[in-house]
Amino acid sequence: MDLDSALLTYIAEGRELLEEMEDILLRLEHEEDKQESLNAIFRAAHTIKGSAGLFGLDDIVAFTHGVESLLDQMREGTMVLKPTITTLLLSSRDHISDLIDYVEAGGNKITDTLREKGDELTQQLNDLGVGVNQTAPETGVQKGLAPAPTETVSRVSGSHAESDNWHISLRFGPSSLCDGMDPLSFLRYLGTLGEIVNIKTLDDGIPPAEDMDSEACYLGFEVNFKSNADKQTIENVFDFIREESLVRILPPRSELADYIAHIHELPEEDMRLGEILVRSGSLTQLELDEALRQQSALQAQETSLPLGNIVVESGMTTQTVLDAAVAKQSQVREGKSKEAQSVRVDAEKLDELINLVGELVIAGAGSALNAMTTGNNVLIESVSILNGLVEEVRDSALRLRMVQIGATFNRFQRVVRDVSQELGKEIDLIITGAETELDKTVIEKIGDPLMHLVRNSIDHGIESPDLRQAQGKTSSGTLRLNAYHDSGSIVIEVSDDGAGLNRDRIQQKAIEKELITAEQQLEDQEIYNLIFEPGFSTADAVTNLSGRGVGMDVVKRNIEALRGSVELTSVPGKGTTFRVRMPLTLAIIDGFLVGVDKSSFVVPLDMVLECVELNQTNREDSVDRNYINLRGEVLPFIRLRELYMAGGVAPRRENVVVVQYGGNKAGLVVDHLLGEFQTVIKPLGNIFRHVKGVSGSTILGNGAVALILDVPGLVQEVASMEMRAMNSAA
Amino acid sequence: MAKTILIVDDSSSLRQVVSMALKGAGYDTIEACDGQDALNKLTGGKVHLIISDVNMPNMDGITFVKEVKKNPSYKFTPVIMLTTESQEGKKSEGQAAGAKAWVVKPFQPQQMLAAVAKLIMP
Repeated sequence: MDLDSALLTYIAEGRELLEEMEDILLRLEHEEDKQESLNAIFRAAHTIKGSAGLFGLDDIVAFTHGVESLLDQMREGTMVLKPTITTLLLSSRDHISDLIDYVEAGGNKITDTLREKGDELTQQLNDLGVGVNQTAPETGVQKGLAPAPTETVSRVSGSHAESDNWHISLRFGPSSLCDGMDPLSFLRYLGTLGEIVNIKTLDDGIPPAEDMDSEACYLGFEVNFKSNADKQTIENVFDFIREESLVRILPPRSELADYIAHIHELPEEDMRLGEILVRSGSLTQLELDEALRQQSALQAQETSLPLGNIVVESGMTTQTVLDAAVAKQSQVREGKSKEAQSVRVDAEKLDELINLVGELVIAGAGSALNAMTTGNNVLIESVSILNGLVEEVRDSALRLRMVQIGATFNRFQRVVRDVSQELGKEIDLIITGAETELDKTVIEKIGDPLMHLVRNSIDHGIESPDLRQAQGKTSSGTLRLNAYHDSGSIVIEVSDDGAGLNRDRIQQKAIEKELITAEQQLEDQEIYNLIFEPGFSTADAVTNLSGRGVGMDVVKRNIEALRGSVELTSVPGKGTTFRVRMPLTLAIIDGFLVGVDKSSFVVPLDMVLECVELNQTNREDSVDRNYINLRGEVLPFIRLRELYMAGGVAPRRENVVVVQYGGNKAGLVVDHLLGEFQTVIKPLGNIFRHVKGVSGSTILGNGAVALILDVPGLVQEVASMEMRAMNSAA
Repeated sequence: MAKTILIVDDSSSLRQVVSMALKGAGYDTIEACDGQDALNKLTGGKVHLIISDVNMPNMDGITFVKEVKKNPSYKFTPVIMLTTESQEGKKSEGQAAGAKAWVVKPFQPQQMLAAVAKLIMP
C-alpha cells in the first residue's frame, strides 16, 4: 500500500460522504428530529476535512473548515436551519465535490475559478456569522490549559539559569501512570531534541510504604538539557502532562541574551508586559495564561502582585529579562504619549485654511442672497445644500485648531508638587474637564496667567498642615483645576479649599495703598476685587513664588487682552475660586443679525437668549430709565440707535434682543431682527483699536459691512457710562 | 517485538495514512471504524496505544474511551484523541474520560508520529 492508493481511497470515501450529505440535506427540512441527520452531515464534513489534512489538500481543509463550523453551530442549536442555509450547504457540498474532482484529475494548484467560487461561498458563510475567518490551524498540537500550581519549584540549585544548558524541572502528577503517561517515555522523547546532560531523580515525594499507592506516580526530575530548540518546542514535549504535572523550563544564559535582544527588536507598539515576554520567546503562552490565573487568584484573596513578580518568582523567566521587557514597555509608552497619534501641520497652513473657509462662508452667504433674488427654486435649493456643506467644512476646519486643555492642566501637577514641597504644604491637585477643547492660540496664551493663579492659590490660599488641622480640616489641601464650556466661552476654574480671602487685610492694604479711602463702604465682593488693582500685594513676606511684583493686575490684564475676563468668589475659611472666562475661538462665529436704521450689527448667537418686542407700555414706562420689566425681572437695556448715534427715526415697533454674559442679562434695543447669520470675524484696523463694544467686523452677503458687537464690553461700557452719569448727577 | 497501536476512525483513508506512517516508524497497527468495532478488536490481543476520533457513528470516541478505561488490562494504556479546533469542549471531555493526549485534526503524519513518540517507544 502506498500514499497514492490511500489517496484513491480518500477520493472514493469523499464522494460517498458527499452523496450522503446531499441526500440528508435534501430531506432535512422535512424531518421532525433533525439532530441525528445534522450529526451525520457534520461527521461527513469533519471526516472530509480531517483526512484532507493528511494528504496536504489545504484548499479542501480551508474551505471545509467553514462548512464544518456552520454545521457545528447548527448541531449545537445556535444556528437554525433555513432554506437559504440549506441552499448554501448544497452549493458548498458541490464545491467540495469539484475540489475532490480536481484532486482526482491530478491538479496541484486549484484554478482561479475554483478559488473564486470558494471565496464567494466562504464569504456567504462568514455573513451568517460563522467563525470561519479564524483560519484553519497550521499546527497539529493544540495548546493545553495548565492549572495554577500552588507551590513553586524548589530548585536543586538556584543558579541554573546561569549555565549554558536548559534546566527543566518536572514533577509528574500522581495520576500520570494511570493516564498512560510514562515519565520515561517523555524523557526519552526529550532526548530526541538534544542531549540530556544530567538528570536527577527526586524521590522526596514517595510516602512511607504503607501509604503508597502502587499505581500513583511520585517522581520528580531535574534535567540539565543541552539543545538548540526554543522554549516553545521544549514545552511542547510536555503538553500532554501539563494538566496534572508541574513543568518549569529555565533557559540557558545564551538564550537570555537572545530574549533581551528580541525584546529590543520588537516593534514600537503598545503591548502588555506578558505580550512582550511571550513575543520575545522568554515566556510561552501557556506560562502567561498560568501566571495570569495566579494573579487573578491572588486578587480574589485581595492581595495583588504585579505580573512581573509572579513570572519571576515562579521561575518562568528571570529578573534580567523582565527588566528589559519593562524598560521596553515604558519606552514605547513614552513615545506614544508624545505622538498622541496626530499629524503635525504648520500652523500657518492651518490659518490659511481657516481664512479661506472664512471667505467661503462669506461667498456662500452672498450666493444664497443672489439665488434668493432670482426666485429660481432649483437654484435656491442647491445653494442651500452647498451652504449646509460649507457650514460643516467651517466647523471641522475650526475643530482642527481646537486642542484639549488637559495637557496644559497636567503641567501643573509638577508645579503643585514642587511648590508645595518647597513651602512644606501638602496639596492634592484634582483635574476635571481636561477634555474640554479650545482654540490653540487661546491655550498657548492662557498658560502664564493660569500659572500665576495656581501659584497664588498654593502660596496664599492653602494653609500649612498644622494650621489646617487646628481648624479641623484635613492636613492636605486640595487645589482644583476645572474647565467647561458655557455659552460660547470656555470657563477655567482654579479653586482651593484654603482660608479664603481676608477681607479686613485687603481693605487695610487698599487704604494704605490709597486705592480706597477709609470712609468708603464696600461690599465683600468689591473688596475682593481690589486684589486685581495695579500695585496690590498682601503677602507679608515676599516668597520665591508670588509677590514678585507681578500681581493679580497683570493676570487680569493678560486675560482681558485675550478678550477674556477673570472673576473670583471667596468664602472665609472655605476657600477661593478664580474663574477665567475666555472666548472659544477667534475666527468664525454664529451670529445674530440685527438692523438699526440702515446699519447692520451682529450679536454672537451664543449670547442671545431670546427676542421680545418693545411694546408701547414698556416704551412709555422706560422713557427716562433704561430698564424694562421682563416677566417680573428687571432687564436693563441699551438703545443701539443712541449708542451708535444712528440716524433715522425709531420704527413703531422696536425689538429687544436679550443677551446673557456670565451671570448678567441685558437687552439691546434694535429696529429689525434679520436672523441667524454665519460670520467671519475680520479684525478691525488699528485706528479702531480703542473702540469699545465692537469686537470686529464682517462682510455681509450683499457686500455691506456689519459690526460685530462685543457684548461683555458693551455691557461694561454702558454700566460705567451710567455710573458716570449718576456721579455727575450727584 | 513491535508495539501495537489501535487506530479508530470512520475514515478509512485516514486510517490508511496513519497506519502507513506508524508502520514506517516501526509500530504494528490495528484499525477499527468506530467505537464498537474497536472494543471488539481490543479483546483480540495486547494494544499499547489507542488513537481514536471523537465523532464516529455507532459509538463515539468519548464513550469508547470510557469503556476502555473500565477494562483493567487497558488501565495504563495511553489514548490519543483526535479533536478539532472547533470543538475545544470535546478535548476536555476526552481528557476527563481518560484520554490525556490529543492531536488536532487536520494533522500531518509527522505530527501524529511526534505525539505517539512522546507516549511509547516502538
